[in-house]
Amino acid sequence: MRKLITILLLTGVIALAHGQDNGDQAGDPEAGGSSNGGQASLRGLTQLDVTKKADAFKRIPKDRSPYVSDYVYQPPLIPHRIRGYEISTNANKCLSCHSFKNARDAGATKISVTHYGTREGQVLSDVSPRRYFCLQCHVTQSDTAVLVENDFKRVDSLR
Amino acid sequence: MNLTRRAFIKANAAASAAAVAGISLPAVATNLIVDQDKTKISWEKAACRFCGTGCSVLVGTQAGRVVATQGDPVAPVNRGLNCIKGYFLSKIMYGHDRLQTPLLRMKDGKYDKNGDFEPVSWDTAFDVMAEKWKAALKSKGPTSVGMFGSGQWTVMEGYAASKLMKAGFRSNNIDPNARHCMASAVGGFMRSFGIDEPMGCYDDFENADAFVLWGSNMAEMHPILWTRLTDHRLSNPHVRVHVMSTYYHRSFELADNGMIFTPQSDLAIANFIANYIIQNDAVNWDFVNKHTNFKRATTDIGYGLRDDNPLQQKAANPNAGKMHQMSFEEYKESVAQYSLEKTVEMSGVPEEKLLQMAKAYADPDTKVMSLWTMGMNQHTRGVWMNSLVYNIHLLTGKISQPGNSPFSLTGQPSACGTAREVGTFSHRLPADMVVAKKEHRDIAEKIWKLPEGTIPAKPGFHAVLQNRKLKDGVLNAYWVMCTNNMQAAPNMMEEGLPGYRNPDNFIVTSDPYPTVTAQASDLILPTAMWVEKEGAYGNAERRTQTWYQQVSPPGESKSDLWQLMEFSKRFKMEEVWSDELLAAMPEYSGKTLYDVLFRNGQVDRFPVEEARELNDESHDHGFYVQKGLFEEYATFGRGHAHDLAPYEHYHRVRGMRWPVVDGKETRWRFKEGFDPYVKAGAGFEFYGHKDGKANIIFAPFEAAPEVPDGEYDLWLCTGRVLEHWHSGSMTQRVPELYRAVPDAVCYIHPDDAEARGLRRADEVLIQSRRGEVRCRVETRGRNRPPQGLVFVPWFDARTLINKVTLDATDPLSKQTDFKKCAIKITKA
Amino acid sequence: MKQLIKLFWKRLSSPSRAAAGLLLGLGFTGGILFWGAFNTGMEATNTEAFCSACHAPIVAEVRETIHYSNRSGVRAICSDCHVPHPWTDKIVRKVQASKELVAYAMGTINTTEKFRQRRGYLANREWQRMKENDSQECRNCHNFDYMDFSEQGQRSVVQHSTALASGEKTCVDCHKGISHKLPDMHGVEGW
Repeated sequence: MRKLITILLLTGVIALAHGQDNGDQAGDPEAGGSSNGGQASLRGLTQLDVTKKADAFKRIPKDRSPYVSDYVYQPPLIPHRIRGYEISTNANKCLSCHSFKNARDAGATKISVTHYGTREGQVLSDVSPRRYFCLQCHVTQSDTAVLVENDFKRVDSLR
Repeated sequence: MNLTRRAFIKANAAASAAAVAGISLPAVATNLIVDQDKTKISWEKAACRFCGTGCSVLVGTQAGRVVATQGDPVAPVNRGLNCIKGYFLSKIMYGHDRLQTPLLRMKDGKYDKNGDFEPVSWDTAFDVMAEKWKAALKSKGPTSVGMFGSGQWTVMEGYAASKLMKAGFRSNNIDPNARHCMASAVGGFMRSFGIDEPMGCYDDFENADAFVLWGSNMAEMHPILWTRLTDHRLSNPHVRVHVMSTYYHRSFELADNGMIFTPQSDLAIANFIANYIIQNDAVNWDFVNKHTNFKRATTDIGYGLRDDNPLQQKAANPNAGKMHQMSFEEYKESVAQYSLEKTVEMSGVPEEKLLQMAKAYADPDTKVMSLWTMGMNQHTRGVWMNSLVYNIHLLTGKISQPGNSPFSLTGQPSACGTAREVGTFSHRLPADMVVAKKEHRDIAEKIWKLPEGTIPAKPGFHAVLQNRKLKDGVLNAYWVMCTNNMQAAPNMMEEGLPGYRNPDNFIVTSDPYPTVTAQASDLILPTAMWVEKEGAYGNAERRTQTWYQQVSPPGESKSDLWQLMEFSKRFKMEEVWSDELLAAMPEYSGKTLYDVLFRNGQVDRFPVEEARELNDESHDHGFYVQKGLFEEYATFGRGHAHDLAPYEHYHRVRGMRWPVVDGKETRWRFKEGFDPYVKAGAGFEFYGHKDGKANIIFAPFEAAPEVPDGEYDLWLCTGRVLEHWHSGSMTQRVPELYRAVPDAVCYIHPDDAEARGLRRADEVLIQSRRGEVRCRVETRGRNRPPQGLVFVPWFDARTLINKVTLDATDPLSKQTDFKKCAIKITKA
Repeated sequence: MKQLIKLFWKRLSSPSRAAAGLLLGLGFTGGILFWGAFNTGMEATNTEAFCSACHAPIVAEVRETIHYSNRSGVRAICSDCHVPHPWTDKIVRKVQASKELVAYAMGTINTTEKFRQRRGYLANREWQRMKENDSQECRNCHNFDYMDFSEQGQRSVVQHSTALASGEKTCVDCHKGISHKLPDMHGVEGW
């Protein structure tokens, strides 16, 4: 008997969950209220117990003009795709275009002189190894609208 | 004009700070003095808001807003560098949906658990909240109230919260999210050394000859420490980097010896290395004889699951942490079963790779730094595993010296400073003391000017247990601060969500943003964050750092500290303490918790005039709140190997590493010449234990609780990515960071994808026995799992991967294993 | 050619027709068999599976790259890039490959470590070969004459319309490591 009740209950729960699947944003006040209380989060208004559909896979634009910085010490964003670009102890694909040596021929942005300094502030003749892994500070940007707007304001001189 | 004057004071303060530090500020760090007021940016230091590395940043403000941030050029931790998250700190406070007022679930103008959120005043919010707390206390007593805090609280906030809960409400049901993150590390330290936190420091990075990463992906999770490691490796060709993980990740890009091992087999690998050291006569006998004891762990200890779970019932010694003496010969015999052949078979790591690593440890001339974080801590045998790595360093005497360093990296910015040192865990008190020990409670009660017996002796509910107790209706009034535990805690669908939505419970969440935790709660309190308040953090190398408030919070937001103190005003002592207890200190009759805890002649010792003009908490309460709390807290550790410098000093320097004795910080603990607590002539002294010795603790391989089978045929490992901090509540709101990694994807081996008819970017359903989520697959991303394992990051509120994870914990540390459970994947 | 066939036919037509027929049949079948077997053999040594026997780590690397998986599903396999297409060149390369059989027997690259150490040598040899034949195997698919610069990224246009167009550079000069991980690039031009 207990088993039967469990099964019945389970079926009910499954049916309920299934029902909610159809109405992504519908709360059921009779069954413990809406799990989000009508307040949106980064998952929007989808109830917490609902299995939200995955958003579309994002693409990175192949190539575009450099992004404008919002403040002086912002690391430049990568304005192109970097699929297959190797950065390892063997090779650094980024430097093959962006190094002082290659930047002009490659038509690429030259890396900043700050990258030549050691921890102690000594200036080296080549990029400091502490800056070797470019992607720790420089990232690509997928072609997508943001989830939430940001109200950061630039200083006047950069507006 | 106030602002100009303030800016002027700030600029002067920064300059004087630099002068004290003996470093002249570079041009970038001073005011840009231009004739127009509005082109001025004032720069001040702050600790980074994100990980446990503890980078210092310079925050540029103008007209009451943060307009820029940059790496602090004089900070020893990061010397001007930041990672991508750190560089975008300037935007974390400006997400458009910042909470502006308290929000309460209401129906027909009244609180209703099933209502929708509506704005209310702070007064109403605290009224409703206090009523719920009082009702719970009255009907079920102190164990029915609880709090879930954070390793991202400031030191003062954690301290105030701990005091409010343990001394005020007399409930030990306070635990930080650091339980999910560092509890196993703490367990390892306490068992091996009797005192918490690393003996070494970041200077080890510039002194080691070999690095071994035990499951850590530092390249993404501790990027600035990775720059130091990379710098040292590339500048010194003899240096070797060994990287172990259950899947290929970015740290392998620098690896000289990269190893992919079968989940859970790290236990075997660590024992193999100890075995290798003994077999090859590489034991440092002088060190071992003088400074170590051999112990063995109690085995078959279960998985920290609910008591009625069959797996838990099968264990012979569930949750047993007792250690037994053993001889070296017995130890030798115990590790001997982990032969090279057997370890290769168990781990899947090729022989020559294991040997390469073992040789680095065994070679007396190679200084080795071992590094680990969540791979080892989020592990059902995490405490054991921490000690197994210490064993290797103790057998060879490679410890507490520059470059010889077993180093437990920390996840959160103040997991060490706030959660561990302040002791915001359900079983702890400040300075490594525990509630279970009478002499420790006595000390705390004396410092806090409380009657004997105020602090309960029984440890409270730890993180995972809190969610279970919420679900069971045992814990009824619950406050979540500075963390997003609905998204972070394991097994959300079976424990977390039912717990929060249990009609018996009232859940409060304090957060700057509407997180999923906030959504699931009944009252949301808008919270000031980061440089909207004054605070202090303590990083992984025992470095305590402070910052001043630099801007005002938006709307009616208030800091966690303000909230804790204001809430304490709503309770008369008679409402929270028994008559018996109150009779011991009748002078407290008629007073409020606020009076007793915060106006005790100590916390309110420093006048508000000492505080900055911009210090909301101090001006609201009429005394220098942060300094008072810090100094009272510091009395716990001074003279007990946890010495902190005077509060003001931290504002002048880029942090100091405790113990700070006679104005000097300590870089290597337990070593004569570096650590002032080591007796002269001792050489080394592990003074956390009475006999001054460290424990070499044998523990065997024991299987993970849930392993892939015919139906749930894949391992799931969860974790972070470089661009997002934890649950993404801050970083997902920074457009650049969001666009860099917009969605949580399922990293999967191309053959595993093909076998399921999947292509890159296909939507899949990930299911475990507990829950399901949907996301898209990535077959060629930065993480490349071997066949049989997938990796899904947890930052994405749309995916909520913790619906799937298992709430199995290390039975000793109670820390969840977020790295291993069994799932299946089908095309959605 | 026609002449040749005519002559051949004439000679065949003079002796006993039966014998000639038999001969012809045998020769023809044998020829087909030989040709078939030869080509099958050649083809067999051109499959990914065959290459993997020695070069497994490298073959696995290709899977992540654009030459394995891309928008339109056009795919290159090992031999498309590493075995010349014209018949004679192909035979030459295959004869050279007999040397590699010795390497196989000796186990020159039979461990990951050995492979890692030899990677520089192997890569350089391929780059040199492709430089000498003006990246012929790239051009088998990527024909410069039909490149639509308006459809290319800005960075590509700059390089393709100048250095590549003038013949100053050939494909492989810039496109190294496009299908495999790179060896130690110290001293390699442009790196």
